[in-house]
Amino acid sequence: MPGFLRDSLTIAAKDLRSELRTKEALNASVSFSLVILLLFSFAFDPSADQTREFSGGLLWLVFAFAGALILNRSFARELPNDCLDALIASPISGAALFAGKAAANFLLLLAVEAVSLPVFGVFYNIRWWDQFWQLAGVLALGTWAMTVIGTMFSALTVNLRLRELMLPTLVYPVMIPALMSAIQLTTHLVGGQPLGGDVLVWLRLLVAFDIIFTALALSLVETVLVG
Amino acid sequence: MRERFMILFSGFAAVLLVRNLYVMLVKLPDEAAQGAIFRIIFFHVPAAWTAFLGFFAAFVCSILYLAKRNLRYDAVSMAATEVGLAFAAGNLISGMIWGRIIWGIWWTWDPRLTSMLICWLLYAGYLMLRRAVEEPSQRARISAVLSIFAFVDVPIVFFSIKWWRTQHPQPVVWGGGAMDSSYWNMLFLNWVPLILIAVVLILIRLRQEEAQREIDAVRRWAHAL
Amino acid sequence: MDERNFTYMFYGFAVVWLCLIAYVVSLAAREKRLRQQLDGLKKLMEDRAK
Repeated sequence: MPGFLRDSLTIAAKDLRSELRTKEALNASVSFSLVILLLFSFAFDPSADQTREFSGGLLWLVFAFAGALILNRSFARELPNDCLDALIASPISGAALFAGKAAANFLLLLAVEAVSLPVFGVFYNIRWWDQFWQLAGVLALGTWAMTVIGTMFSALTVNLRLRELMLPTLVYPVMIPALMSAIQLTTHLVGGQPLGGDVLVWLRLLVAFDIIFTALALSLVETVLVG
Repeated sequence: MRERFMILFSGFAAVLLVRNLYVMLVKLPDEAAQGAIFRIIFFHVPAAWTAFLGFFAAFVCSILYLAKRNLRYDAVSMAATEVGLAFAAGNLISGMIWGRIIWGIWWTWDPRLTSMLICWLLYAGYLMLRRAVEEPSQRARISAVLSIFAFVDVPIVFFSIKWWRTQHPQPVVWGGGAMDSSYWNMLFLNWVPLILIAVVLILIRLRQEEAQREIDAVRRWAHAL
Repeated sequence: MDERNFTYMFYGFAVVWLCLIAYVVSLAAREKRLRQQLDGLKKLMEDRAK
């Protein structure tokens, strides 16, 4: 077990270090999220009340689209210089490789969200921090769902010609239940209400989604990468 | 041998369909609110059931492929998904026609139709992925994993969309809950010919896939000479 | 039988069958392509034999 943990942390640190040095994907992702937020406000010009009704939807669409930029690079960054082959040949298990990359992607996605959320609050004049810790928890769970599916499918499509086109087309339909749960929960929380009652079904769904697909990904990633 | 099964199945399906059409249109009692169009249900619903049988078969064959690495399982998985998609499309479009006539709108965000649409997108992605991979065993491996992910997602999608629609009541509520038992019998009875047709289509597709593999092998040999 | 919406019922029936027929047409198209590949190969073998 400690071997697995050590290996994943090594991979996670490597990915984070490499991304933070150039910040290419991070900058692109943050810029994209700001642009989408801007465009939505032009396109719909919503009042504060209207925005509160679809805040979850808007935020998660922004996170999903901007996040795709980061997730796409996850395994693709290993292609030049045969780094992917080297990683596969190394004693690190496929599951540890996946876990490390997923952890790195998770942190990068959270960083993008941490920037987008205050910008959203400013652009749309919404006070979103009333249920801050619960919101943080929901963001973490939803982002993990996106990370697991996105990293897994990044591994799946790494050797394909049309990778950039293929990844979003495959990822978004699979993620719909998680996105839907995250959206419902976020709208509820941004509106200032703590979680409780009916809305808890969405929380259970999101947690179940995370558990099921994390287990599935960890067991199948070796097959995808190695054979 | 296989041809004989295909002809037998097709023949039986045709006979059953004709018999069902007669019973459907002439014998069965009327449904109060919707008139004749309610009988669309006898193809709309079994088409969905057949599609899911296809997707389930693809799921099982994907697991079998990963376990045994026999490309024949991959071929069945692909054929079952293609046929499943055809039946799912039938379910979706007939559902839209039904909705247009009864409720006046083409798309009603009904939970079952919406979930079916998402499943259709999932499996269309599967076929798209296959087209992007050239090497047969890599293609089989990658699409098997995708098929497993897709099928695990299906029940989750259905549950989440159903709960979403319960929370946001739609302007239309689908009928079909309390149905006359003769209707239920006809639903299942009409499912049988659809399953038989699905099997025949899958067998045809499989035969084409075998032919393609043989042609590829002969071509390689011919070029090597 | 209640005749209301009778034509639309047939449209609904037809659409399910049209989807299946569309699939069969795609199967037939693939069959034709396979035959063309086979014929091409045969011709290649004949040319080689000469």
